[in-house]
Amino acid sequence: MRQARPLLALTALALTAAATADKVGTPVPIGIAVAQTSNTALLGQEQVIGARFAEKYINARGGINGTPIRLVFQDTGGDEAGAINAFQNLITKDRVVGIVGPTLSQQAFSADPIADRARVPVLGPSNTAKGIPQIGPYVARVSAPVSVVAPNAVKQALKLDPKIKRVAVLYAQNDAFSTSETGTFQQTAKDQGLTVATVQKFLTTDSDFTTQVTAVLNENVDLVIVSGLANDGGNLVKQLRQLGYKGSIIGGNGLNTSNMFPVCQQYCDGIIIAQAYSPAQPSANNQLFVKEYTAQYKKAPPQFAAQAFTGVQVMVDALKVLDHKKKLGDWELADLRTALNTQILAGKYNTPLGPISFDKDGELQQQSFYVAQIKMKDAKTGSFVFLK
Amino acid sequence: MTELLQNLINGLAIGSVYAIFALGYTLVFSILGIINFAHGAVFTLGAYFTYTLVVGQFENNGLIKGVNLFPAGSPFHGSAWAFAAAAVIGALLSGVVAVIIERLAFRPMRARGADPLLALVSSLGVALVIVNLIQILVGAESYSFPTDIYGDLKPALILHVGGKLVVVRTVQVIIFAVSMVLLLILGYVIGRTRTGKALRAVAENPGTASLLGISVERFIVITFFLSGFLGGLAGTLVSTAFSVAGPYFGVAYGLKGLAVIVLGGLGSIPGAVVGGLVIGLAEAFVPAQYSAYKDAVAFALLFVILLLRPQGLLGRLQIQKV
Repeated sequence: MRQARPLLALTALALTAAATADKVGTPVPIGIAVAQTSNTALLGQEQVIGARFAEKYINARGGINGTPIRLVFQDTGGDEAGAINAFQNLITKDRVVGIVGPTLSQQAFSADPIADRARVPVLGPSNTAKGIPQIGPYVARVSAPVSVVAPNAVKQALKLDPKIKRVAVLYAQNDAFSTSETGTFQQTAKDQGLTVATVQKFLTTDSDFTTQVTAVLNENVDLVIVSGLANDGGNLVKQLRQLGYKGSIIGGNGLNTSNMFPVCQQYCDGIIIAQAYSPAQPSANNQLFVKEYTAQYKKAPPQFAAQAFTGVQVMVDALKVLDHKKKLGDWELADLRTALNTQILAGKYNTPLGPISFDKDGELQQQSFYVAQIKMKDAKTGSFVFLK
Repeated sequence: MTELLQNLINGLAIGSVYAIFALGYTLVFSILGIINFAHGAVFTLGAYFTYTLVVGQFENNGLIKGVNLFPAGSPFHGSAWAFAAAAVIGALLSGVVAVIIERLAFRPMRARGADPLLALVSSLGVALVIVNLIQILVGAESYSFPTDIYGDLKPALILHVGGKLVVVRTVQVIIFAVSMVLLLILGYVIGRTRTGKALRAVAENPGTASLLGISVERFIVITFFLSGFLGGLAGTLVSTAFSVAGPYFGVAYGLKGLAVIVLGGLGSIPGAVVGGLVIGLAEAFVPAQYSAYKDAVAFALLFVILLLRPQGLLGRLQIQKV
């Protein structure tokens, strides 16, 4: 009997621990699953900066009604397996209330169903491919789909040069978002009465584009549209210009980052880019975000950082509403995750992207989109100039 | 006709890089009978070393963001000779790194008589550590060399043949010429000098070479240094043509190099050259609209050739006396 007492005490302790383990932790843990390694880290590191900035910014303003937040980072790498692993860790080990991630649409198609089955809300910070919100009821995104953003760039290019008739389209075929985006670009080009003279494929891992560029030069096109990521896209633009292409160039969403400047240097000049975010967006919220971000990082926030910030902000704003209903510490974790998902979809948010909300599927409803043109001051420094 | 000419130029340029990259693999394999998977990371380092010398700083991310090696301007920037000096120093530093890798990843395994597979896994571990270290230090961004690194050379020669364009990039000519010169020098060193003879003796039979007074350990170090030098220089050549495409850009070349040496014949130096050129040309002749499949084509070619010649193009069949 005397021996049984410690055993009973231990059992009671374990049960208590299990019961409290189901409660929401403080500071409130929010998962960030983005690419910190692999080629995709180029985009992921901007998202890490944006999310860390959000954590500091939000906690400095009282967190969730006085309760601080804690971001839990898991590296997804650049592939599907890495994203799945990161999601599983965040859900079961780190016990987060929701996840902002992953970086690539390709990863989202594999990892989001895991969160959906576990009933953990996911906000895609940069997943722009078709079909992401339809993965499941717990999946939403703060990144506008390419079908909405891309056509603006083509229209703007035609405004700048109405003589454009023939188009070459190039895209990274091993990237889900690029293949989705190029479909939109090609359709828009046809809708605008342009001739798609050639469609060339490449890989995000490619660096030699002589074959594609020569094929483009032989077609005498007036416009080249590139859907890829910063490394390959920047390289492709550089080689196009080096080999004598003088017409207009449109870059897709993957090229919407200042990380491209060191790659194509002065050859980046003039690229037209459709954006889901612009530092020039005039809302008070965005201007405050830009001011504080610039003070800390000595450059205007890039789109991927702004979208990661927005993802965290949306989660926090939704949690604030739930906290008013019942203190977060009193929630069971599973109940809070479900309530958080419902609240995310129900809310309206003033973010750096402008006013946003979601439809019943979790698709982003964003009011403002932008088209920018890259202007290079010299070989190293450039900026995205907002086109009216 | 124009397409044939264009593909030939593209294939020879990239194939010659594959060849000097694969030579590093082959040298180590012929001496130790193991594949050094860290060779791709050394290739990447070569590019980063040279870039650091030419530009002096990394501006975007990483621990050494903003640290400028040459506040008054880099002495390695502005003329073809200055750049060549930076490329050679970059390659020498890569050679030193390869020697360190030998000390850390291969020698302890050899001392314990470990299975060659363990050394291979160990080198893979070293490769990942190096790649991640690069990312921690300088971030994941790509960097391009300044466009005027060769001085006033025109970026490309554009020929009009039969109404179509044939483009020869200056950098392609430089890559091909440098690669060929290097291959000739290496061929001479290995075929005609005492060091080369000693290297071949060690490769043939380390035990007998040791009995003849050849310091096997010393020649293993020389082999790794040469291998790192070639890998680092290949990294610089590729990155001047395209860009220093992030810390992971050597990984794909590592796999390609492996295909090259298997195709050419494991341990065969002329085989590495022929294999490199064959893979480069095979990739170049994939039609432009299908060029995203060029890796698949290269490996399919490897598969077909190995079915016909299991020892590779210039390899020798292993004859076992029983």
